[in-house]
Amino acid sequence: MVFSSDARWEMVDEITRQTVTYGTYKQTLGAVLGDLTVKPLTGIPVAVAALYAFWSVFTSFAGELVTDGFMVKFFDGLWLPWFQAIWPDPGSWHYFLFIGNPAADTCFEAFGMLTSGLFVSVGVVLPAVFVFYLMMTLLEDSGYLPRLAVLMDTVLHRIGLHGYAIVPIILGLGCNVPAVTATRILETKKQRFIMMTLLAIFIPCGAQLGIMMSIIPDLIGVVILCLIIGFGIFGFVLNKIIPGENPEILVDVPPYNWPVKEYVIKKLWNRTKGFLKEAVPFVLLGILLVNLLYLGGVIQGLANLFEPVFVTWFGVPKETVGPLIAAFLRKDLAIAQLSIIPMTAYQMVASVVLVTIYFPCVATFVVMLREGWKELIAAIAVLFVVVFIYGGLIHAVGILLGVA
Amino acid sequence: MTGGKTEMAVLVPERGTTVLMIGNPNVGKSALFNRITGANAIVSNYPGTTVDFTSGTFIGGGRTYTIIDVPGTYSLDPRDAAEEVAVRMLRDYPDAVVMIVLDATKTDRGLYVALEVMERGMPCIVAVNMMDAAHEKKISLDIAALQRILGVPVVATTATSGEGVRDLADMLRKAKVADIGAIAQRMRGEEPEREPAFTCGGCGGCGGR
Amino acid sequence: MLTELSDLPFGATAIVREINTSAHDLNCMGLRIGKELKMITKQPIKGPVVVLIGELEIAMGLEIAGRIMVETGTDI
Repeated sequence: MVFSSDARWEMVDEITRQTVTYGTYKQTLGAVLGDLTVKPLTGIPVAVAALYAFWSVFTSFAGELVTDGFMVKFFDGLWLPWFQAIWPDPGSWHYFLFIGNPAADTCFEAFGMLTSGLFVSVGVVLPAVFVFYLMMTLLEDSGYLPRLAVLMDTVLHRIGLHGYAIVPIILGLGCNVPAVTATRILETKKQRFIMMTLLAIFIPCGAQLGIMMSIIPDLIGVVILCLIIGFGIFGFVLNKIIPGENPEILVDVPPYNWPVKEYVIKKLWNRTKGFLKEAVPFVLLGILLVNLLYLGGVIQGLANLFEPVFVTWFGVPKETVGPLIAAFLRKDLAIAQLSIIPMTAYQMVASVVLVTIYFPCVATFVVMLREGWKELIAAIAVLFVVVFIYGGLIHAVGILLGVA
Repeated sequence: MTGGKTEMAVLVPERGTTVLMIGNPNVGKSALFNRITGANAIVSNYPGTTVDFTSGTFIGGGRTYTIIDVPGTYSLDPRDAAEEVAVRMLRDYPDAVVMIVLDATKTDRGLYVALEVMERGMPCIVAVNMMDAAHEKKISLDIAALQRILGVPVVATTATSGEGVRDLADMLRKAKVADIGAIAQRMRGEEPEREPAFTCGGCGGCGGR
Repeated sequence: MLTELSDLPFGATAIVREINTSAHDLNCMGLRIGKELKMITKQPIKGPVVVLIGELEIAMGLEIAGRIMVETGTDI
C-alpha cells in the first residue's frame, strides 16, 4: 500500500503525538554557541579565526616542524648522499631515472624517482595532507561545517554555487580526488559542473600547498590571491554562461557535538591511507615518466614548440614547459621542479599559478571521468580558455605593475 | 525502555542477511554502524560526505550480516545525487533487511522516510538513536507504544556510548515486514484483524504471522 | 497577520501557513504548515536565513524564504 505524501505526514504527526512528549529545558552551551557561530556579526569573525587557526596549524606543524625540521634534514643529509654514493654509474640512464642529478645537494634538485619522488610524497606532502585531514575531520565531526556553509552561502551563491560548495572546496585543498566526489552534494548539473571545473582549475591541493610553502614561502600569499581572484571571476562568468538552475541553499544545521576520538582517528587513518594508496604511486610513476620523456627528448621538443606562447603570452621562461607537462601527473612535482629554474619573483608567481590552473593531475582526471565524460571534455575546454585568458591577464597586470 | 525483551522462538525466513541502514543525515547512523560492525567506516555529522556508502560485517546468532551504511536521506524522493544512492540501494537489495535509524530528538522528520521504506514491504527494524540527547532535552519517547503502532521491533540506542547497540544487533533477526494499513488502523486506536502484536503483548519482535 | 518569512524580523516567532515553493523538500527538512518557527539569523546582503522549528535548525536561501507565508501576532 502506498500513501500520498500528505497522508504520510498525517500519520507521522499522529504517531509522534502518541509516542513523544516534549519537556522544557535550559538551552545548552552547544546551542548558544551554535547560534553565535551562525550569526553574521559573531559568526564571520569566528569563521575567519577558525580558518586562520587551520592555516597556522597547517604551516607550523606540517611545514616547519615535520618537513623543515625533520624530513628535509633526513632526506638531504642522509638519504640523498647515501644513494648518490652507492648507486653505480652516475652517467647512466638508470641513475638518471632513479637518482637524478649526481651533483644535486638537495632532494628538490635531484629529481630521481627514489630521491625527489620519495621526498616529495613522504617528506613534504604526507605531513601536509595528514594535518589537513585532521583539521577537516574535526570541522566535520564537530558540526561546524554546516554553519560555515551558511556563512559562505552569501558569496558562493553569486557564482552559481551555494554554501555547501565550501565542502568540496575545503576537501579540494587537501586533495581534488575526494573533492570531485563531494561535488555530488550540489543539486544541479550546472552547479556540479561549475564546482568541478573551478576545483580542477583554481583549487590547489594539499600537496601543492605543502610544496609551495617549502619552496616559495614569501610568494605563496600572492599566488593564493591570484587563485582566489580567478575563482571569483570565472565562477561568476561560468554562472552567467552555463544554462541551468542555480537553486538556493536549503540545509539542516545540526547541533554541535564533541568529536569522538576513536571516529576521528579512524576517519583520519582511512583518508591518509587512501592518500598513500592513490597519490604516492602517482608521484613515483610521474617522476619516472617525466624522466623518460626527458631522456627521449620529448620535453625539449615540446618546450621548443610552445616556447613562443609561454614567453610572449604568459611572460615566463621556456624551461617551465617541462614542469607543465609533468603537472599532468602530479602538480606538486611540477612546482618542485619549477623551484630550481632561476626566475624573477613575477615569473615564479606566474608559473606557479599556471601550473595550478593548468590540467588537473591524472588522479583527478580519472575521478572526473567517472562523473561523466561529456562534463570532463567541457571542463577541459573551459580549462584551456581559462588558462589562456587568465595567464595573459596576470602577465598584463604584471606589465602594468612593471614587474613582468 | 528497550523494546522486545520477550524472547520467542520465531522462524524468520532464511533471507535478509544484508542490512541497509537508512535514515536522515546526522542521526548518528555512521556511529551506530561503527558500533555494530567495528569496521572502518567514515563517520560524519554533516550530510553529504557519506556519498559513497560503507559496508561491514557483523556476526550474530550464527548468521553473518553484511551491514551497509546508506547515505542519509530525508525521503525516497531524492533531492541530490547522494540521496539518490539511498533509493538505488533499496532497489538493488530487494531482499535486504532495513534498519531505520531515527534521531530521538527529531522523530517526526525521520518517521517520514521510515514510513516510505515500510510501504515498500521490506522487513524493517527501527533504532531510535541519540537517546542521550533526547534525555538532555527532556524529550521522552514511548518506545513500547512506537513498537506497538509500527508493528516492527523498535530499539532505543545511544551510539556514542554504545547503549542499546547490543539489543539492536540481537533484534536484527526479528525484523518484520510492516503492514502500513495496520499501522494506520492502530494509530487510530483500532485493532486490525489478525493483529500479531495482540497475541504477544505488543513486543512486535515476534513476527507472528 | 500574514507575511513572507523573509520579512520576519530577527528573533520573531510565527506559524507557517503557506508554502509556495518546493514544499516536499521543505516538509522533509521539517518545515511544514502549522508548525511554529523562530527566526534565528538573517545573513547580510541577501544571504540565507536560519530558522528554528522545535529541535530543528534549518538554513535556506532568501528567495525560498520569500515564498513561505507565515502568520505572526496571534500571540504564540
